[in-house]
Amino acid sequence: MPDDRSDLLQGTLEMLVLKALSLEPMHGWGIGQRIDQLSGEVFHVNQGSLYPALQRMLRKGWIRSEWRVTENNRRARYYTLTRAGRRRLDEEAATWERTSAAVNWVLRGRPAKGTT
Amino acid sequence: MSLFSDLSERARALFYGEQQSREVDEELRFHLEREVQENVRKGMDPEQARRQALLAFGGVERVREETWEARGVRPVVDLTSDMRYAFRTLGRNRGFTLAAVAVLGLAIGASTVVFGVVNSVLLSELPYPHPERLVRIHQQNSPTNRFGLSAVDYQAIRDQARTLEAVGVVLMRDVSLSGAGRPEQARVGWATAGFFRALGVSPVRGRTLAPPDEEPGAPPVAVVSYAFAVQAFGDAAAAVGRSVTIDGVSHTVVGVLPRGTDRLAAARAAVWPVLQLEPPKRRGPFTLYGVGRLREGVSLEAAVRDLADISRRIFPTWASGFQDRTALLTPVPLRAAIVGNAGRHLGIFGGAVALVLLIAVANVATLMLVRASARERELAVRASLGATRSRLARLLVAESLVVATLAGLAGWVVATFGLRLVGVLDPNLPRLGEVALGGRALGFAAAAAAASGILVSLPAVSVVLASVASSLRSDDRRAGTSQRANLVRGALVVSEFALALPLLLGAGLLLNSFLRLQRVDPGFDPAGVVGVSVSLPAARYSDMATADRFWRQALERAQAAPGAVAAGLSTALPPNDALTGDVNNFDLVAHPAPAGAQPTSPWSGVTEGYFQALGVALLDGRLFTPADSSGAPPVVIVSRSWAEHYFPDQQAVGQEIVAGGCTECPPTTVIGVVGDVKYLGLAGSADAVYEPLAQYGSQAKAMNPQTVSLVVRSTAPPSAVFSAIREGLRALDPELPTVETTLSQRLQSSVADPRRWTAIVAGFAATAVLLAALGVFGLMSYVVRQRRREIGVRMALGAEPASVIRMIVGRGMRYALLGTGIGLGVALLQARWLRALLFEVAPTDPGTIAAVAALLLVVALAACWLPGRRAAHIRPLEALAAE
Repeated sequence: MPDDRSDLLQGTLEMLVLKALSLEPMHGWGIGQRIDQLSGEVFHVNQGSLYPALQRMLRKGWIRSEWRVTENNRRARYYTLTRAGRRRLDEEAATWERTSAAVNWVLRGRPAKGTT
Repeated sequence: MSLFSDLSERARALFYGEQQSREVDEELRFHLEREVQENVRKGMDPEQARRQALLAFGGVERVREETWEARGVRPVVDLTSDMRYAFRTLGRNRGFTLAAVAVLGLAIGASTVVFGVVNSVLLSELPYPHPERLVRIHQQNSPTNRFGLSAVDYQAIRDQARTLEAVGVVLMRDVSLSGAGRPEQARVGWATAGFFRALGVSPVRGRTLAPPDEEPGAPPVAVVSYAFAVQAFGDAAAAVGRSVTIDGVSHTVVGVLPRGTDRLAAARAAVWPVLQLEPPKRRGPFTLYGVGRLREGVSLEAAVRDLADISRRIFPTWASGFQDRTALLTPVPLRAAIVGNAGRHLGIFGGAVALVLLIAVANVATLMLVRASARERELAVRASLGATRSRLARLLVAESLVVATLAGLAGWVVATFGLRLVGVLDPNLPRLGEVALGGRALGFAAAAAAASGILVSLPAVSVVLASVASSLRSDDRRAGTSQRANLVRGALVVSEFALALPLLLGAGLLLNSFLRLQRVDPGFDPAGVVGVSVSLPAARYSDMATADRFWRQALERAQAAPGAVAAGLSTALPPNDALTGDVNNFDLVAHPAPAGAQPTSPWSGVTEGYFQALGVALLDGRLFTPADSSGAPPVVIVSRSWAEHYFPDQQAVGQEIVAGGCTECPPTTVIGVVGDVKYLGLAGSADAVYEPLAQYGSQAKAMNPQTVSLVVRSTAPPSAVFSAIREGLRALDPELPTVETTLSQRLQSSVADPRRWTAIVAGFAATAVLLAALGVFGLMSYVVRQRRREIGVRMALGAEPASVIRMIVGRGMRYALLGTGIGLGVALLQARWLRALLFEVAPTDPGTIAAVAALLLVVALAACWLPGRRAAHIRPLEALAAE
């Protein structure tokens, strides 16, 4: 059974996966690499936890998967963002901005620019 | 979108499980290889690269498991594997499985049949368009006293009712009917055009009746049923234009009803000739069955007011022959009128079947519990290996569900066969032709199976969960759980007895009542008495003189039958002809009753030989003589009960009465009192009024033709008497339909209904008692097995076999006694349900209660004694060695 902490992590992980896939379809290992890159190595994704997350997101309809051949002529499972996934990413981003602005405001004592 | 992808992913996972797990493996393998490559590219040596890759990945096996779980098919896969496992274990225990499926299947089947009947008869709509607008129209002068319509009523409603879209009447009557073959006596429905229009029945061929057909003198026509058309003319299309002969009059067939329509409203007939009503000369008789269709949007209340207004409007015109101002034309929803009090019968049926189903559930639950106890160790091992409590519960429920599913299938098969028995068990059930098992019945069977599947597993689940919980905490789980299991088992057995007792009491009361009914003195000695009823077709016997001549000659021939001691004629035969007619109202000249409160009595026309043939004694006054002819002053003979009832302190002979509410007729004189004979059934009163046959119906000549019975007492066997009478009648008129019965047969068939009800309830009760006995037998056998060692020790220490038996039997009887006591309490609360079916027996009759309680306990004693005896034969050494 997942506890509160892993829920939070799960949500964050999913958002990072969506962001990575918004650039181009890629396989699981590539997603891991891209997340490391995108976060400037701040987030280090536990590689194993990627696959259950991908499975959950398939079920939610945010991504879909297909088997393709890599540049090195290897069969690999590629994941693509669906329209629902893109919408989800936008929502997540908006929510995140609001939340972080609010947190900034609380911590620094003044409203962040662009929010009410 | 999301729901769809969710389900399709889960379904893929479920159906392509193996392929998918291969895909996951391949995907993870690719990931690791790619990582190793990357590490090598960064400058690690292959071995180190590999170790680093695995480290970063974090447990391949766990990831695979988590990915598998993320597919969301875990519970389904578990359930199917549980089911598969349950099937396997049940297959290994065929005896147990067979017993459980048979007990539950029979109970589910029986209750499905009852549900199907209740659904068809009580719940479903009538098979006519907009059935909610159909009404039956009665004359009604008190909340309970309803009677039919007269020609006057029908014509008034037809011409004046504003709330009805259509109204029609039908008159059911036995006639001599011939289609293509020889004449036979059949019941036909003389109907008006409005009868078909009100019901909204459309023919498959030709037309139904039209208003011009109803005019007296119009060419006679008839509508026939599909089955009749096929039987008489070969097929439906050929029937239209052909003719059927009804009482000697040829009727042209104008239409054929749809296939399967063998009754309209509640009336069952194959042929529906047109009813042509002559202009009425008086208000009565009230013999027509009226059906109306409310206009759209008109409420029943509006129709009640409308028809009541009509009743008051026509009353003055006909007041000379009908003084009951309180009688109003009253519409009643047709469905309620048809179903009548079938609800009570079906209620008793349903109650009995529900009790049996509950007992069956308790029984199978006991079996499941015993099985679960036997598996306690296996389940404990599973628990220690990490199976959760809900997982264990699922395992047990899966087994019950498999049993219940099989039982549901078996029950459906039982129900489809059982449905055919309904017509045999209850042939008078209204709407019997519509009874079928539909989708709702299927749903009921499925629900019953699912509910009983869960119910039978509950005791086992509760006991096992408690046991597993305690086994993880302490060592002495055996003592604790077997105590709890025994408590639950005991409770189940107690409830089986508590459920069986009300059924047994019901059966006992019905049996007691039936025996009393059979002991009722019908007022005559049926041995050697036969009755042959003859219907004279109105067309050929239209005037009194012809009919009288015929009856005189027929009587002479009957008197010449072999061994004939006495012979007479009567319009009604005991013991129950008056239940379906031949009841007349009258008034005492000396003490007139207020309007609407006139008494009624069974009323028949007889010749004096009838009393001798039946063996009824003259107690006072005189019998009829030939001088009491149609022109002579009207006279009657009454039964002793009638005389005591209406002239308790006076001599009845010489008193005057007004017959049939005919104030203009001369008063009728009572000339004799004879012994009591039952005409309203054996449970009914023995009131009776006899008129000379020559005078009978002289005030109501519209009522001809008459059905009259020849009654002959003879020393010869009935078959010889029947054939002599048959030949005599054929010589007089070769086309007459006759019905032959012996009076003993009539007595038997008059109690057919109570006998049938007694048999049905007794059948259910026997099943219930058997199941309860099996329950206590099974429990005590289990107790003996469980305590084998303890009993062995006792016997080794010198306990007598008798004391061991006493111990086992005593324990079982405690359950039986407790259950019987609880059952008695429940039964006494519900006893009033049966009151209407009982004759001279109170629902709380102490003798019956004592008898059924004793019977149940004796059965329980026998069921406990067998395991007790087995316990007494336990050999101490073997028992100790076995552990």
